[in-house]
Amino acid sequence: MAEQKPGKKIGCGLFGCAIPLVTFIILLVAIVPASIFGIISGAFGKKSIPAPTVELPASVIFHIGPLPVSNTIITSWITVVILVLIALLVTRKAKLIPGRLQGAVEAVLEWMYNFCKDVAGEKYGGKFFPIVTTIFLFVLINAFMNLVPGFGSITYHGAPLLRGANTDINTALALAFISFCFVTYYGLKDGKFSFAKQFFNVGRFGRGIGHLFTGKFKGAFGDIGFGFIDIFVSVLELLSYLIRLVSFTFRLFGNMTGGEVLILILFFLLGFAGFGLIQVGYIFEMLVGVVQALIFSGLTLVFATMAASPHGEEGHEK
Amino acid sequence: MSGLGINGWFLAAQIVNFLILLLILYFFAYKPVMKMLDERSRKIRESMDEVQKVKDQAAQTEEEFKKKIEAASKEGQEVIARAMRTGEEARQRAQLEAKQEAQGLVEKARVEIQRERDETIGELRQEFADLTVVAAEKVIGKSLDKNAHRQIIDQVLDESLNLKKN
Repeated sequence: MAEQKPGKKIGCGLFGCAIPLVTFIILLVAIVPASIFGIISGAFGKKSIPAPTVELPASVIFHIGPLPVSNTIITSWITVVILVLIALLVTRKAKLIPGRLQGAVEAVLEWMYNFCKDVAGEKYGGKFFPIVTTIFLFVLINAFMNLVPGFGSITYHGAPLLRGANTDINTALALAFISFCFVTYYGLKDGKFSFAKQFFNVGRFGRGIGHLFTGKFKGAFGDIGFGFIDIFVSVLELLSYLIRLVSFTFRLFGNMTGGEVLILILFFLLGFAGFGLIQVGYIFEMLVGVVQALIFSGLTLVFATMAASPHGEEGHEK
Repeated sequence: MSGLGINGWFLAAQIVNFLILLLILYFFAYKPVMKMLDERSRKIRESMDEVQKVKDQAAQTEEEFKKKIEAASKEGQEVIARAMRTGEEARQRAQLEAKQEAQGLVEKARVEIQRERDETIGELRQEFADLTVVAAEKVIGKSLDKNAHRQIIDQVLDESLNLKKN
């Protein structure tokens, strides 16, 4: 490594190389002694961090009347408030020549809008945009919430007061449910027959049976055979369609909970000595948050587009 | 299910949460921001068109201006040419006049000279005749009839003059 550095320096410009190099050096300086210290202190069994208890269900913090409110619901409220505040801040004083905040928000929205338009086309891009963007923003802010100090560490009657909403399966399931309803709505509304047909494709089988009665035996068996295949395929389609609900839920829930647990474990194993490595974990978690938000919204968008386009995804009509 | 923490109330709460967020964002973010973006792109397009128009206009004006300048310069040249021609004419006329005047003067001078010469010749002749008479008187010693004498001399002089002229 030491030999490579000067060579690298010659190769790139002053700022092109300086920032990554400095970051690398800082990380190196931070991680190596930290890890060594962590291992040594681990060996002596001097951990000051209590072993983390991973609890999947969200904890109830208080009740509104008879209804319980969990820590993840509080977090999602905070997310809602943050997003609404940003929206109001931007649009209350919206100017034709934007300031920084307005420019940033507009850039994000315009990027999402173009993404929707690219995937769904001119007709549906504008229609899908609000829900897809809301999913994206909600998942993204919730994912970043996991990383805010105080989350999980401040306790209230023994339970963490705040917990990332994405780590509650109810949030993921709610989003998946909304995505599912959204896709189904557009499938039934605009995909109409071809949307329904991919799940109940009995046309050819019926035609084969009809041939049996009218005496055209030659075509009958072929149609019945292929009709069986069609029915089998539509059952598969229906299954995969319903399983999307599960896969959407567990993809988000698993990734987010996994990230939270990963950081807890890192912290537990390395203690305060794991300074640099935990930061790397945080950066990694930010990346995962962005990716999960993109995947959730992107898949919703793609499925909705496929459902709404009149000819199914790969020529189901025949 | 309960191990994962699925809970009907929480689920419903999150769905409602999301729908509220969707509604608020739709009315307070997406709609105004998209409107603003459209408005901006419209404004930009308009001002681009405006710029194009102004540019065209400027080009046209420049063209006209050029034409005008060209015409003006042509006119100016014509004026100059005309002025030069007029000047030339005036000069020639002046020259001619001067020449004529000079000729007149010369002519007058010549006439004057001629006249003076004639006068001088006449005077000379008179004097010469008188002198001749006196000389002849002296030579002959007696006075001649002055008038007769003079007649003879005049005759001779005229003859000599005629001779000279021929």
